[in-house]
Parts: sequence; structure tokens; C-alpha cells
Amino acid sequence: MSLLQEEREIILSNEYVDSFDFAEVAEFVSNASKELFISHHFARKNKMLVQPRGGFPTYQQQFALYEYFVDANVDVLPLTIDSNTRLNDYATAKKMLRLSEENDMDMLNGYPLVTHGYRTTRKMITHFDKPVSLRHGTPDARLLIETAIASGIFEIEGGPITYLLPYSKNFPLDKAFLYWKYVERVCANYSQLNEPINRESFGPLTATLVPPSITIVIQLLEMLLSLEEGVKSFSVSFAQQGSMNQDIVTGAVLKKLARHYAGEIDCGDAAINLVYHQWMGAFPTNQDYADQLINLSTVIAAMVGADKIITKTRQEATGIPTKEANAKTVADTQYCLRILNGLPNVVDEEEEEMLTLQVTAIMEAVFNDPADTLWRKVFNCIKNGIIDVPFSPHIINQNEMITIRDAGKNIRIIERGNVPIPDRCYEYDKSRCDLSKDTTSIVNDIIHDIGIMQ
Amino acid sequence: MKVVTGVVGNDIHVVANRLIDLSLRARGYEVYNLGVNTHLEEFFDAVVETGAEVLMISSLNGEAEGWGREVRLLKSRYKTLDDVVLMIGGNLVVGSGDPEEIVARYKNYGFDLVCHQVDLNTGLDMLQELVDQRFPA
Repeated sequence: MSLLQEEREIILSNEYVDSFDFAEVAEFVSNASKELFISHHFARKNKMLVQPRGGFPTYQQQFALYEYFVDANVDVLPLTIDSNTRLNDYATAKKMLRLSEENDMDMLNGYPLVTHGYRTTRKMITHFDKPVSLRHGTPDARLLIETAIASGIFEIEGGPITYLLPYSKNFPLDKAFLYWKYVERVCANYSQLNEPINRESFGPLTATLVPPSITIVIQLLEMLLSLEEGVKSFSVSFAQQGSMNQDIVTGAVLKKLARHYAGEIDCGDAAINLVYHQWMGAFPTNQDYADQLINLSTVIAAMVGADKIITKTRQEATGIPTKEANAKTVADTQYCLRILNGLPNVVDEEEEEMLTLQVTAIMEAVFNDPADTLWRKVFNCIKNGIIDVPFSPHIINQNEMITIRDAGKNIRIIERGNVPIPDRCYEYDKSRCDLSKDTTSIVNDIIHDIGIMQ
Repeated sequence: MKVVTGVVGNDIHVVANRLIDLSLRARGYEVYNLGVNTHLEEFFDAVVETGAEVLMISSLNGEAEGWGREVRLLKSRYKTLDDVVLMIGGNLVVGSGDPEEIVARYKNYGFDLVCHQVDLNTGLDMLQELVDQRFPA
């Protein structure tokens, strides 16, 4: 028995799992409907796929949510997991699910997949026969993704960096890398049985003034960590940043460099997709304005040439959205995409060059780290601040980089910390901003720049 | 002047914490930032360890209310904290409440300075005033 299989048996003999039948699950994946595989849709469709967010505690609520989404002409269904399951606290998830079922009141902020189990969940997934994307935020997702794939969920979001640095203060980063290595290998192995399982990275990170170079570097690194384990379909992603031009430039550079670096490790045969998140920062409380923002995001996603868009709702500022509000965004986004025709081709060569220079300089610094494997190189570079994510709560993050918006609302780096931004790019970024102010005024500008859409 | 700061409890809201850090440094303070998800004991331990004159606790999700009640009891277990300026700021209740009543309640918990939904720079000006009084040059 391989080491991986030994580890799988340990993970799956958890007291909260109702006997995992490896052979039956492999049989199920081999014969599963092609419709369930988002990789199959990416390969065939020439339209941008629309995917909302959403997860409710009970089976019945989740089923009802999916019915609303299907009526609104959804392309990809979400399964958002509750926070207890994300932190591997299956006992609390189980208790809260029972309370939710008995009291007709939501005690969980998502669907407790491990608690429901794969035999139950698979009935729902196969009933709708649409691709489902697993949305979570789990540093140790080993049991969760085994349960997901066994349920017929063939897209797994997340990664060791993007699911840790925005969400955790002190979960050990080195452990996260090893736990995600397991996820990649399991996804790679199942991919040999039918269409590929798609892995997706979470580009928005902290959604707070993250410069595009940092976003792209982390997308590329999580892609490489996934492809090197044998994953054959991968989505890089980013969220609306606040400037349409910067989004278009980011999309172009991300696509170009993703293909480049995949080729460098002889994984050019893997499918690479681009995913765009509607605005992930603070939303306006005025719901009509929120709808305007959502439509604007859709237009930019089209300009960027995204393969999939992930939607928000008009209730974003108030809390977990109702299924009606959620389905409305799906219908609106589909309509907006249908009438968006004859888009101009916008290319900003100077900005593309500057961003490419930044990204390649950071990537080179990562590859030059003396560690023996890629994940250790990346670990070291986060630890020593070569990769620095603004507004990450994690203790390992350096927090030396400072960013601000210029007059065009582009995110610019005004303090690079230990990130090897080339001098030329650094001067270019700073020249776009008014730095003659004192720090108090700059802090006020940053507060304003974060709340730009409110 | 040394300041220990951080977000109390199981509160991961990090944005204001970074901005407080930046603003304090800009005003010339030496900052020891414990970050988010910090428990009360950790704050007091850090004050002892660094010899800080100011302890600035922040909260966004409203759970400071629960922690605030324990301040006097916990502080009494330390011998050297009597002169430390205790400040709390942010969003100090779950839901809404009468601001004057909230300030009075937190002062009763043992805080010298209470900034409920007060603009960052206004709060830091208030701190400066109190520091100048308590530690005259």
C-alpha cells in the first residue's frame, strides 16, 4: 500500500465519517456524468460560466437554494462550508446541524459536508447534474475534499497560501503546505478515472489593497504546487481591484505568465482557466447601488476575458443573503453577459510591462531560495517577506508593504518592505501617488481607498 | 513612549489594527502590536514584558463587552500596572446602544480612555492629551 493510501485510510477512519468505501467511490467517479465536471464545461463552452456563493445548514435548505439557482439559469453551483467544519471541529458542526434541524433556525453559516456525509450529499449533487464548486477556507481540508469528491463535487477551491494568510492568525503554514499536497495528489489520482478534477486558487486574498503583483505571484505558485502533483485542470483567479484598466492588465499578465510557468515545469498540457470575483471589499448598504456595482463587475469580467465569474448579492453589506437575492444576481449577471457584445480590445503595454517585471522578479527570488522543494522555497519567502500580503492577520506575514490608490484608483506600492520589486517599477508606482503628505493623511487616504465602493 | 496594542478575543478583523499600528508609529510611539485574536492575559503580559506606558485594546465584533468585565480582576493580579494608560476603542457593543452609557460602563471596567465608534485620529489625539497629563515632560 502506498504512503498516500495509508494516510487516506487514517484520515477517513474518523469517528465522524460513516464508513468510507474506497472502491465504490472510485467506481462512482469513473462513471459519473460529464456534466458534473467543470473541466468538461470549460473545455466545451465559449461563454463565461456564472457561479454564485451559498451554503445552508440543512439538506432541505441547500436543495431549495439549488432549485432557485437552476431557475435563474446558473452554470456552476456552489457548496459553501460552515466555519466549524473549516476548522475541523466536526463535533460542533454535528451539534449545530441538529439544533438547526430541530429549531428551524440557522446555527451554521454553511453546509456541514462531513456531517451530512457523501452518501446523502451525492443524491443532491447527482439530482441537479450541474458542476459544483467547493468553497471553504480550510487549512487542513483532507477529510473535507475526500467527502466532496465522493459526493460528486469535482471542483475544489483553495490552497495552502490563499486559504491561510487571509483567514488565520497562527495555523502553521508548513503544515498547511503538507495538507494541501495531499489534496493535490488525491485530486490528481481521481482525475485519471474520468474528466479532470479542477482545482481553483483563491485570488482575492484579504481583498484589501493587495497589489496585482502579489496576487499574481501567489496564483502562479499555488498553480505550480498543484500541477507538480499531477493536477490537469487549474483555475487562477483574482477579484475586482477598483480600476478597470488595472483589472484588464492583471488578467492579461496572469494568463500569459500562468501558461509560461506551467510550460517551464513541463505541465503545458494542463488546462489553465481564469476566474474573476465580483468586488470582494466592503459593499454599499444601498441595495440599488450594490446591484450597480455587481453589474459593473460583470462588465469588467467580460473585458478581462474570464472563463468564470463568481457573484455577490445586493445583500452583501447586511449578512448572509437569502436564496431569492442570491438567485437574482445569477439571473442579472446572465442577462448582463448576454447583452455585452462587441467589447473593445484594450491593451496597456506600459502597465503590462511594469507588472510583468514585478512578478518575474518576485518569482525569481522564490526560485533562488536555497530550499530543496518548491513548497519550502515558498514557505521561506513568506517568512522572510519576499512575499508580503497587505492586511493578512497571520503572524508569519511580514506586513511591511504599504499600498495606496492613485488618481485612476490603481493600487500602487508606496513601501515595498522586503519584496524584491525592481527599482524601476517601484519608482513608477510611487510617481503615480502624492507622497508629499504626512503619514496621518496617508492613513486617511488608505481608509478611504479601502472603502472606495461604499 | 511604548504602546502595546491588539484586537481582543476571537476577533479576526485586522484592517483597523494595521492602521492603528501605522498611525501610532507616525506619531512617534514605539509599537508592540499583538495583532488579532488576542486574549486579555496576553495584553497584560506584553505590557509587563515591554514596560509599556500605554495599553490600547481594540474590538470590532463587539465581544469586548465580555472581556471588559474581567479587566479589574486581572489587572489586580499584576503589581506594576497602576500607572499604565488603559485605552479601548472600536465598536464596543453588539448591535447599538447609548454612546454615553457605553463610555461610562467601560470606564467603570477600569479603562482611562474609551473610544466607541470614534474616528482614529480623534482617538489618538485624546490619547496624546492624557499621556501629556500623566507623564509630564
